[in-house]
Order: sequence, then C-alpha cells, then structure tokens
Amino acid sequence: MIRALLRRLNAGPLPPPQATRRRDFWLSLVAVAVMAVGLRLLETGLSAYWVQMICLAGLNVVLAVSYNLINGVTGQFSLSPNAFMACGAYVTALLTLSPAEKSLSFILEPLVWPLSVISLPLPMALMIAGLVTALLGFVMGFPVFRVRDDYLAIVTLGFGEVIRVVANNAQSVTNGPLGLKGITHLTTVWWAWGLCLAAAFVVTRLIRSSYGLALKAIREDEVAAETMGIDIFWHKMLAFMVSAFFQGVAGGLLAHLITTISPNLFTFFLTFNLLIMIVVGGLGSTTGAVLAAVLVTFGGEWLRVVEEPLSLFGYEIPGIAGMRMVVFSLILVGFMIFMRRGLLGRNEFTWRWLTALAGRRSENK
Amino acid sequence: MDALQQLINGLTLGSLYALIAIGYTMVYGILRLINFAHGDVLMVGCYLAWFASAQFGLPWWVSLAGSMALTAALGMLIDLGAYRPLRSAPRISALITAIGVSFFLENLGLVIFGGRPKAFARPEIFNELYHWGGLRVLSLSVWVPLITALILAVLLYVLYRTRLGMAMRALSRDLVTVRLMGIDTDRVVAATFAIGSALAAAGGIFWAMKYPQINPLMGIMPGLKAFVAAVLGGIGNVVGAMLGGLLLGLAEILLVAWMPELAGYRDALAFVLLIAFLIFRPQGLLGEKTT
Amino acid sequence: MSGQPLLDVKGLTCRFGGLLAVEEMELAVPRSQLAGLIGPNGAGKTTVFNLLTGRVKPASGSILFEGRPLIGLKANRINRLGLARTFQNIRLFSELTVMDNVLVGFHGGLKANFISAVLRLPSYRAEERRILARAEEILELMGLMEQAQERAGNLAYGQQRLLEIGRALATSPSLLLLDEPAAGMNPQETLALSALVRRLRDELKLTVLLIEHDMHFVMNLCEELTVLDHGKVIARGAPQAVQRDQAVIEAYLGVSPAKCASTENGDA
Ligand SMILES: Nc1ncnc2c1ncn2[C@@H]1O[C@H](COP(=O)(O)OP(=O)(O)OP(=O)(O)O)[C@@H](O)[C@H]1O
Ligand SMILES: [Mg+2]
Repeated sequence: MIRALLRRLNAGPLPPPQATRRRDFWLSLVAVAVMAVGLRLLETGLSAYWVQMICLAGLNVVLAVSYNLINGVTGQFSLSPNAFMACGAYVTALLTLSPAEKSLSFILEPLVWPLSVISLPLPMALMIAGLVTALLGFVMGFPVFRVRDDYLAIVTLGFGEVIRVVANNAQSVTNGPLGLKGITHLTTVWWAWGLCLAAAFVVTRLIRSSYGLALKAIREDEVAAETMGIDIFWHKMLAFMVSAFFQGVAGGLLAHLITTISPNLFTFFLTFNLLIMIVVGGLGSTTGAVLAAVLVTFGGEWLRVVEEPLSLFGYEIPGIAGMRMVVFSLILVGFMIFMRRGLLGRNEFTWRWLTALAGRRSENK
Repeated sequence: MDALQQLINGLTLGSLYALIAIGYTMVYGILRLINFAHGDVLMVGCYLAWFASAQFGLPWWVSLAGSMALTAALGMLIDLGAYRPLRSAPRISALITAIGVSFFLENLGLVIFGGRPKAFARPEIFNELYHWGGLRVLSLSVWVPLITALILAVLLYVLYRTRLGMAMRALSRDLVTVRLMGIDTDRVVAATFAIGSALAAAGGIFWAMKYPQINPLMGIMPGLKAFVAAVLGGIGNVVGAMLGGLLLGLAEILLVAWMPELAGYRDALAFVLLIAFLIFRPQGLLGEKTT
Repeated sequence: MSGQPLLDVKGLTCRFGGLLAVEEMELAVPRSQLAGLIGPNGAGKTTVFNLLTGRVKPASGSILFEGRPLIGLKANRINRLGLARTFQNIRLFSELTVMDNVLVGFHGGLKANFISAVLRLPSYRAEERRILARAEEILELMGLMEQAQERAGNLAYGQQRLLEIGRALATSPSLLLLDEPAAGMNPQETLALSALVRRLRDELKLTVLLIEHDMHFVMNLCEELTVLDHGKVIARGAPQAVQRDQAVIEAYLGVSPAKCASTENGDA
C-alpha cells in the first residue's frame, strides 16, 4: 500500500527542475531546524535514561543508513558492521582516553608507545577513527569482493570474528578481554543526531548521483554493469568504505555513550540488529532505514513489556528475560516470508511525495 | 610422540567438525543456502540428549539416538516453516531468514535453559584414559573418529546405493530438471535436512562430551567453523566436508601446539583459511569449479 | 590508420571443457561497416561477442581493436576503449527507470570524482547537465522519451531491445555489437530497427557487428556477412554471395530446417 502510493507520487520528470531543488533545500533546512528544536526540548525535558535512548536511536540511524548503502543499494550482502564498529570504538577510545586513565587500565601489559601518551579531543579522534575504519574496509575489500552473495556474507562475518579475536588477544593495544573503561561520556544528542545529518547527507547525495546509479546497476546486474564500462570492484569498494567510515565514527560515539567497551560487546548480535532495521525499512531505501532504525530502537524498549511480570485476568505471568530477542528474530523471519520488501520497498519518502500528498489533500477539500 | 598425540587430538576435533559440516554441505549442495541455523540445531540436539540422560537417566546411546531423531524432525520443521516459503525468493532472502532462525533458536534456548552452562556427563565408555607408551588418550578420542568413519560409510551407502540418495545427488546437480522428472523435491529436501540435522546432533553431543558442558550459544562457533570446513572441502561434496573438517581440526590443534603464543588466535584460523581458500582455490579440495 | 580494420580478430579459439565453441576464427571489420555474424543455433556467435567484450577468456588468438590488443583486459576497460554490446537475453537494469538505464551507460565516462559528485561541485553539475541532455537525445532517437520514467522491466519486449541499444550508445562506442536485436520484434518494429541501425552508422559514424537469425533483416542491412558453424567460419562475403554458398546452405539445412525462426536459448 505505502509502496504503491510512494511510487505513484514520486513519479514525474526527473531529475527535479531547479525550482524544485531549491524548494527541497529550504524544506530540508526547515526540517533540520525543527528537529534541532525538538531535540533541545527532549534533551532538557527527559530523564537521562531517555536521553541515552535518543542518542542510541541516532547512532542506529547512522549505522542503518550506512549499512543499507552497501547491502541494500549496492546489493552486496555484508555482515561486517560489528567489525567496523569495534574498530571505530577502539580507535576513538584509545585516542581520547587520558594517559593516566590508560596506564590505570592496562594492568597486564602496558599500552604501546605512541598511544600511551596521546590524548586527542573527540572530533579529531572520531575523524581518525572513521578514516582508520575506512582503511580497514579497504583492506577487507580485496578478499571480500572476490566473492558474492552468501560467500560474501560468510567472509565478512568471518572478519567480524577475526577482529574480535584480535581485540581479545592484542593485549598491548586493546587491553584484551578486559576492554577499555572510564571513557568520558561525551556523546550528546547533538553528536549523535549531527552525525545522522552528515551520514544522511553524504549517503543520499551519493545515491542520487551518477555514482549511486552505478551502485544500483551493480545490484541489478553485475555483468551488464561491467559491460557498460563500470569498474564494479572499485564501486563496491567505494560503497564499502563510505559505509565503514560512518560505522567507525558511530562506533566511536557509541564508546563515548556507554563509556566501557570490551571485545564481547561487538558480536554478530550488533549486525543482526542492524540487519533487522534495514530489512524492516526495505533493503535499498534510505528513508526506510531511518524509519526502521528509530522504530526498532524504541520498539525494543517497548518490547521490554514482554520481559516484565504481567498479571492477566488475575493470573500472574512471570517475566521472561531475553524474550525480546526471540520476538525480534520472529519479526525478521516474518518480514522475509510475508513482506520481503519491507515497509518501503526501495521507495523513499521525499519532499516531492509530501508536497504531492498535501496537494491532493487541498484538492479534495 | 608429541606429534602423535597432537595428531590424535586433531583427528578427534576434525571428526566433530566433519560430522557438523556434512549437514551444511548437503543443504548447500541442493538449495544453495547457508543454513545458519545448523549450529543452533546442534545445540538443541545437545539439550535434548542432556534431558534424556541427566533428567530421565536414559543410557547414553538411547539419548543419542532419541536426540538424533528429534533433531532430525526439528530440521525438517525449520525447512518447512522458514525455508520452503522462500524457495523461489532471491537467495539473500533465504539467507536472512536463516540468520533469523538461528537467532530465534539461540534466544529461545537462553529463555528456556538459561545462560548458565550445564554439565554434560561423559559416559563411562568414553571416559577411560589409555596409556600407550608415553601417550595419554581418552577413549572418546578413539571412538569419535571411528564412529564418524562409520557414519560416513553409511551415508555414502545411502547417497550412492539408494533411491533417496540418488535423488539427492541428482537434485544437487539440477533442481529444476529433477522436479520436471516427477520427483517430489520437497520430500528429498526434507530428508536432506533430517539427515544433516541428525548428524549435527551426533556431532554436537560428542562435542559436549568432549568439553563436557553445554550452553545455548554453544552452536555458534562449531557451526561457523563447520561451514568453513565444508567450503574447504568443496561445498556440496560429502567426502570433501569430511576432509575439510579434518584439515581444520588438525590445523587448529597444530597451531596451538606449535605456536602456543598464538593460541588465542585459534578461533580466527578458520576464517583465515577460508579467505585463503576463496582466493586461491575457491572450489575447495574436492569441489568442481563453478560460477 | 585508415588502411587498418577497426576490429581485427586472428586465430581466436575458445574451449568450454571438451567443446570447441570457437575455433581459429578470423574476422576483420573495417570502420563504418555494417557487418553481420550468422550461423545456426549453438554455432558460437554469442561466444564470439563474449570473447570480444572480455566476458570469456580465449584459449588462443588475438583481438586488435583500433590496433590495440584486447585480450586480458577487463570488460569495463574494453567498453571504455569504445566497444559496446547488447545481450541476446536482455539484461537491462530492470528495477531502474528507462532514463536511469541510459544514464548508467554514461557513468563509465564520467570525469568528476565521487567527492565532487557528493558535494555537487560546479564541475559535476555541468557534467550532469551535459549527460542528461545527451541521454534525452538517445531516448529521443530510440523513441522511448515517453517512457523515460517508466521502470525498464515494464517496457514491451521490443522496446527493451531498443533500450539496450540506447544504453550501449550512452557509453560512446565506436563499435556496436548487437546480439539478435530483432529477436521477439514484430515486422514493423524490425523494419524500424533496420532503419535505426543504418542511421547510427550514417549519422554517428558507428561501426556495427550484429548477430541475427532473421535472414531478411540481415540480407537487407548488412554489407558483409561471416557465417559460423560449430565454431568455424564456413563462409564470408556479401550477403547475396553467402546466400548462394553451398556450405552455408548445408550448415543450415543439415542441423535443423527452421533456422529463420529466431530462438531464445543462448546464454549471453
Ligand atoms: N559459458 C559457457 N560454458 C559452457 N558452454 C558454453 C558457454 N557459453 C556457450 N557455451 C556453449 O558454446 C556453444 C556455442 O554457444 P553460443 O551461445 O555462442 O551459440 P550461438 O551461436 O550464440 O547460438 P544461438 O543462435 O542459439 O544464440 C554452445 O554449445 C553452448 O552450449
Ligand atoms: Mg547466441
């Protein structure tokens, strides 16, 4: 239903003429301003717990949007976000922690030299983390993009495991299984949602450019794309690195949100969560990813109900811990079987859509 | 002497990987689907056996057989409920579903059995310690490769000498033609899931006896590694899965034995091997070149 | 340079296991020629295209395009050198719009890097405008302007074939390889296609090499024909001469009588 409507309303001569572009620009600006005011109100009005949740939702949006770029838009079924988040989180934390804090944490083996004395401000650390993670993506890309489909999935999953094993063993860099503690709580609503804006901007612009078309062409038919002169390897690599960059930065912000990281935080579970988001939103739809990231984050909170004791018609049903994940798994399987294309399919919510909808409303009056 | 000791350890571990890998390889051969839930099916098999032995006091071989039968049914149920509706869907949809089923089983396991590991008793017969010369060998380590060899022999007999087996092999060549020939492909696929799951249960139960404990997440690592073993051997090839399992088991044991300082990286070895194989020999040890 | 053919194939051989799909093939296509490649089903015609475009690696032989060796180059490199093709079993990006399919064709030649594309720098915007204008020209030429925003997969069969040609044109080729462009078209569409191909040659100075089973189409359009059977060239020359060639008649009649009917079983 939503899909058909979106498709119909989005149809029309493309790309939009100059005037529409300008209108969209102003509408976007207004939306950002409204969002900023909204965030400000929420930040001051809500408890610390909910502010934390809003930050988490923001990070999930970043992660889902960038994950969708490689999985949904480019059609390369990667399972590596947990690897990239781990990389970003560790790099950022190692760069921002104070030398004193570091020497306190690294009890088994001291931290290697340059890292042991460095302490950078957050923005710089995040930038470096993003670049290092993109570099990791670059290195991974060589073996990963020699294979396709499910093999690609398994290899990227394998990289996630390798990163975790390395984090557990490279004592003098990662502090091993103990992880890093005492990371300053620096991630605010502004950081999380600011990064959202940046990620959404870059990813949307990329998708709408000629490069985005090439990525979609690769998804549709690799052979035809290559025959039409597109270097598929480097384009996959491009999508992978952009995705890695944002996931690395988001990982860094996550570290500064929860203040303690250890290798066991970055299991496949994180990737699974993101997978649900992009599947529910519709593989290939950026706005779908945004919507689903918010839905899943807060839906997860709401689902805590099923884990709490419940009294129904006088019966006491004990709370079942862990039931949420069972429900989430069923949601994923259910979507695959009954609604494979997710909520939005490959369509996007656009200003054009909104204005067209508004136009209809006023016509009907 | 030490080398012989390591060889036996590697053989035992490799046999376990092999038992689990066979299910992966058979399902992949026919459906081109990585059954992510395979490792978790193994976990369920272990809990079933644990209930039979620890709660009801049944002899080990009864609980093994019972668990294998029930796990086979679970495998078919998963196929029926989750994979069959997606037979004609893009491969990635089936893969996502498999990941979903895997998480479902893991978390349901956590909800029902709790996260705390349970001790898994090692039956007397597998718990003897032989001293041969300087070797110290647990009887389990002798039995596991033998039982694995026996199971493989039976499986090869089924695959090459029975109608069902021939249908399976034909199906892994060409699903569409076989369907046109009037064979009920759904039943053959169900039988494949049943056999694969039963073998995974067997592998899992011996695994549990080896370590000797079980937990709801125990299937993840053996499952992933067994898949890697299946790829190393040449996916779709049962004997290949066996070889791949042995190769991986030996490689892990030898890594730890020869380079103890790298022991912590043992769990990464499988993936390093996987990547190396995909680059240099994507068809695996015994596989034919495809795609 | 002008004495040299645009495409020069020598001793080209390709094996699939035990099957010799193409054997010691020689082919020279001069600039601005309308050349045809015909032969019974399974003769190896599509395989020749796959070899030319780098999809399949030959066992031996050489391919020179504008004097440059092509063997060993990746498919996208070959396309950038000026060789574009269509597929026998249509391979459009069916989820994308008609316009986007053509725009994809321009991407390989895009000069702006991805950063200037994301930031929409003036250089990128200028290039985008230029590409859009040219894409519209191509759609106009193909008669697909009406359907520009339609999903490519929704087009009628004949239109999909035209769109494939349009997409190939977008890569600015000097040699166009058409694999059974008239397959599945009705007589009027075939006639229009014939005129279109001629226009491409006359107005855009393209060289065209096409595979086709519709003999009427081939005989009227092509200036030189090469006949392939079991991977070997059995005849070559002007259409009328080839038509009367005894070996050709035998090849066609020997395998199966209904060769003029177009078929859809090739694997491009
Ligand atoms: N990738 C491949 N692997 C194995 N065999 C192939 C492959 N591609 C083509 N063949 C075989 O090579 C032979 C020539 O095929 P090709 O598609 O080139 O024929 P064609 O002349 O285009 O036929 P048609 O007129 O039916 O399109 C056929 O026997 C075909 O089965
Ligand atoms: Mg052909």
